[in-house]
Parts: sequence; structure tokens; C-alpha cells
Amino acid sequence: MDKILRNKKAIFIFIAPALLMFVVILVIPMFQMIYYSFCDYAALTPPKFVGWKNYQQLFFKDSTFQIAIKNSMFFMIFSAVTQQIMGLLLAVFLTNIPKGRNVFKNIYYLPCVLSSAALGLLWAFMFNPRIGINQLLAKFGIEGPLWLMDSKGFIVLPMWVIAFVALWQYVGQNMMLYMAQITGISRDVYEASYIDGASKAKAFRYITLPLVKPMMITSLSLNCIGSLKFFDLVYNMTQGGPNHRTEVLATELYAEGFNYFKYGYASAISVILLVLCLIVTLLVKKVIKVETYEG
Amino acid sequence: MNKKNVRTKKPLSPVIIVIYVFLALLAVLYLAPLLWMLSVSLKDNPDLMAAPFALPAALHWNNYQEAWELGRLGAALFNSVFVCGVTLIVSLFFGAMAAFAIARMRWKLSEATQTFFLIGMMVPVHCILIPLFVRFAHLGLTNSRFGLMLPYITFSLPMTIFLMTGFFKSIPAELFESAAIDGCGIYRCFFEIALPLARTGFFVSGLMTFINNWNELLLAMVFISDPARKTLPVTLTYFVGPYATNYVQMFAAIIIAIAPTVVVYCLFSNQIVEGLTTGAVKG
Repeated sequence: MDKILRNKKAIFIFIAPALLMFVVILVIPMFQMIYYSFCDYAALTPPKFVGWKNYQQLFFKDSTFQIAIKNSMFFMIFSAVTQQIMGLLLAVFLTNIPKGRNVFKNIYYLPCVLSSAALGLLWAFMFNPRIGINQLLAKFGIEGPLWLMDSKGFIVLPMWVIAFVALWQYVGQNMMLYMAQITGISRDVYEASYIDGASKAKAFRYITLPLVKPMMITSLSLNCIGSLKFFDLVYNMTQGGPNHRTEVLATELYAEGFNYFKYGYASAISVILLVLCLIVTLLVKKVIKVETYEG
Repeated sequence: MNKKNVRTKKPLSPVIIVIYVFLALLAVLYLAPLLWMLSVSLKDNPDLMAAPFALPAALHWNNYQEAWELGRLGAALFNSVFVCGVTLIVSLFFGAMAAFAIARMRWKLSEATQTFFLIGMMVPVHCILIPLFVRFAHLGLTNSRFGLMLPYITFSLPMTIFLMTGFFKSIPAELFESAAIDGCGIYRCFFEIALPLARTGFFVSGLMTFINNWNELLLAMVFISDPARKTLPVTLTYFVGPYATNYVQMFAAIIIAIAPTVVVYCLFSNQIVEGLTTGAVKG
């Protein structure tokens, strides 16, 4: 038995296809991207090494990029905070109600599996200044704002709208993860605490919260990386407009790379995106300390 | 008597009632937009402008037919099914092979290999977009469905490998041992014992792969420019923009695009949840 499990040739044959695709499609292009980010590279000319020029341009001269990074940061923080709180809250509610848990769970999770390109179109229509929600508000004599076209303020209104739509669409995922963790906690722990006179609130604070912490790391990292990569909803709701005020890193990358064909420049943006993802993941791991409990 | 009755029936506490009201309101917030979309897709444009939130005055089923023709949804649907289908089969097969070697075979680098694949889960697809596009343009792989499948398969692998490794590890070792004693080789162990026993694993990771790729927009948008080869999410973007005023057709197209995932979700929501939660618990 041991001999056939150590069969080197078989191991190689099993691993090779996946590994090959991974290296060719993911690893090599990633290093190429890092190289391109130091190059002046437009579609038709070969890449020419220029050092840090792209990065200097991005951070010090490109006002659109500054908007994009500001929006992405806002979006990440907003999503992380609201989705974690709402997700955990829903999970606690759903695990405490006697009936209908599955129905509610399935309803809230539904938008997560739907195409955000399609849902983006739906919400773009809803927040259209003349039709949709504003028409409903007009019935009550309220003049609704220009939801997706307003361009005033540090974080423009359309960004808030998109952030709320994203909350609506993706909170189900966090809820699901927390629910899985909470249902894994033994009922006995709660029973014991109630016998000792703990209230539901106390049980939440001293039992549920510490025990879902490991999931918080996963959920929060997924949340943050997901928001940094965010593209579909923005593209289909505002396309970065009005006047680039709702540009995020991914849409900016797409525009520079595939509307203006500035490959080197766009690569620098993707390097920044990758670095941000790494920093955020490490930060989440560092900040949330998990003590191990005997479950 | 009365008291006893109350106790056996366990009346709902006020807190639970408040929670129920909250959950119900939230459920409305989730379902209403989707149902509204269905209602709009059956109106005509003047009716929509006059009373967007009313039920359709007459049912205009022909919206679907027009959207189908206008947006070339037939071709788009075929492309989506084709690309996602091939991606699903290939990534499950390659992924299962690698997972089997990681979970069951004995070699020094198996842990390291798994970590390597898992790190791949973190890399955003945006990071390979440009180099891959340049490379594929040289090879003539842009604008081809095959070219789109390659990154889809690659980005589906980490999740599949991770889930399948778990499933293969849960198969009792005795099964393989007795098979080996009966003279069964490693390949037969894989095909005739491991694969059939990991059916649930295939199902769960297959669903995740399918949903992710079905909804993927960015790669599909960059790699395919020929309208006849575009996938559904990209085709929908035709309906965006200042000149797009065929709202009712747009909504019909959206319904067509999301219907398959809604059906899949309604049938297999439990497996999808399982895939999500086991896939996420990687610590």
C-alpha cells in the first residue's frame, strides 16, 4: 500500500495539469505584471523600463487615481463595518428564532449568487433621477436627489448608493459564515450559562462573540479583498462617472488598460491592488487575535 | 390549567416578535426588487414610465422575444453554457487529481503544494489581466471561448482543490488498502474508489465553480470583443448607457440572465451553503 502511495510518477501525473495551468496562467503573468508596472508600455510599442515613473505619476499627479483609491478605501471600510455587523446580527437572529430559519436564510443569501452585472442594471434603473425611486418619492411630494449623478462632497452620493447596494447584495455571505460558526457552538455551553444566571445579551457577549472570532478573520478578509477588487456593480451602475467621481481601483485599472491601452500604467495600478490585498489580509490576521477554546 | 397550557405552547417573547418583524421587513427588501423586475419585464415602455410600481396592465410576453433577438441572448446563453460547462468539467477533473495527490499520496511537498494553491485564492484576477491579455493576443487566443476558459479554469482550481482535499481525506484509508491488496493500482484507486466516493464534493465544488464563472464580468469583457462570442453578463452591458431606453427589454434580458442561477439556487441551496462554509473555513 505504502509503495503505491509513494509512486513518484503517479504523483507527478496527478499534480502536473493543475500546477502547469497555475504557473502559466497565474504565477508567470503576475511577475510579468510587476515588471510591466516599471515600464512605459502602450499597446503598440514594446515595454521600455522607466523605473518608478508610473508610481510617481499615480501618487502625485493622477487625480483620477487619487479619487479611485479614496473610493476604494471608503468602500472597503464601509463594507467591512456594515457587512460584519449586519452579518453577525442576522446570524444571531436567525439562530435564535424557533421557525422559518431556512426560509429567511435562503432569501438573504439569494443575491450573492446572482450576477452583480445584472443586479447593477436593476439598481441603476431604480436610482435613475427621473424614474424609479424618485417617482415614488414624488408621490409624497419629496424631490429625490440625483442618486447616481450627484458629484458633491468628499465621498459622493453615488458611492454611498453603490456601497448600500453592495451591502444588500453581499451581506448574506457573512451571515452564512457566521451562522455556520454559531450553529457549531454546543447548546450545552448556552444552557450552562443560563443556569448560572446569564442573560441572552451576556451569553452573546461572553460566549458567541469569542467563539465566532476565528470566522471573523475569514469573513473580514474575504470582505476586504472582495471590496478592493470590486468592479461589476460600479461598472454597470455609474461606469465611474459622473466625471470619474465614482471610479474605484478596478474600474480605473480597466479604463487605463483597455480604454487608453496604457498597459504599464494599468499594471502599476494592479500592483497597488495586490499589495493592498496582502496588507489587509495580514492586518486582519494580526488585529484579530484568536485564543483557542475547548469547543 | 391556563398556565400549563401557556408553558407547553411556549408563547413567543416580545423580543422574538420584534426580530420576526425585522426579518420579514428585510425579506421584503430582498424579494421586492426581484419581483418588481419580473413585473417590469412584462410591461411596455409607456406603461413603465407612467406607473413603474404598478402591476403590468397587460402582459407583454413579446419583451422576452425582442430582448432575445436584440441582445443576441441566444448566442450569449450558448457561450455562457459552453464556457462554464467546459470550465466546470476540466477544473473539477484537474482539481480532483491534484487534491487526490495532496490528500492521499505520500510525498514531502504535499503540504507546501496545497499552501501554494491556496495562496492563489487570494490573487485578484485583475492582477493577471494585462500580461495575460498581451500573451493571448500574440497567440491568437483573445476573442476565443477557449482563451476565456483557461483563466476561468485556473481561478476555479484553488477552491476545487481545497474542497476536494477535504472530501478525499474523509474516505477511510482501509478502502484503499484492501483495494491495493487485491492488486488495484493507484490510477484505479483514483478512478474507481476515490472519484465515486467524493460525489458530494464534486457537486459542492461544481456549484461554486459554476456560479462564480457564470457571473464573471471583467475577464469576459476584456478577452472577448466579437459580439457572437460574448457571455451573458457582458451582453447585458449593451443595455447600459445614456442611449439605452428599452428598459422593458433590458429587464427581460436580466431575467433571462439570472433565471438559470435562481433555478440552480432553489434546487441546491443547501449544497451551495455547504460549499461556501467549508470553502471558507481555512483559517
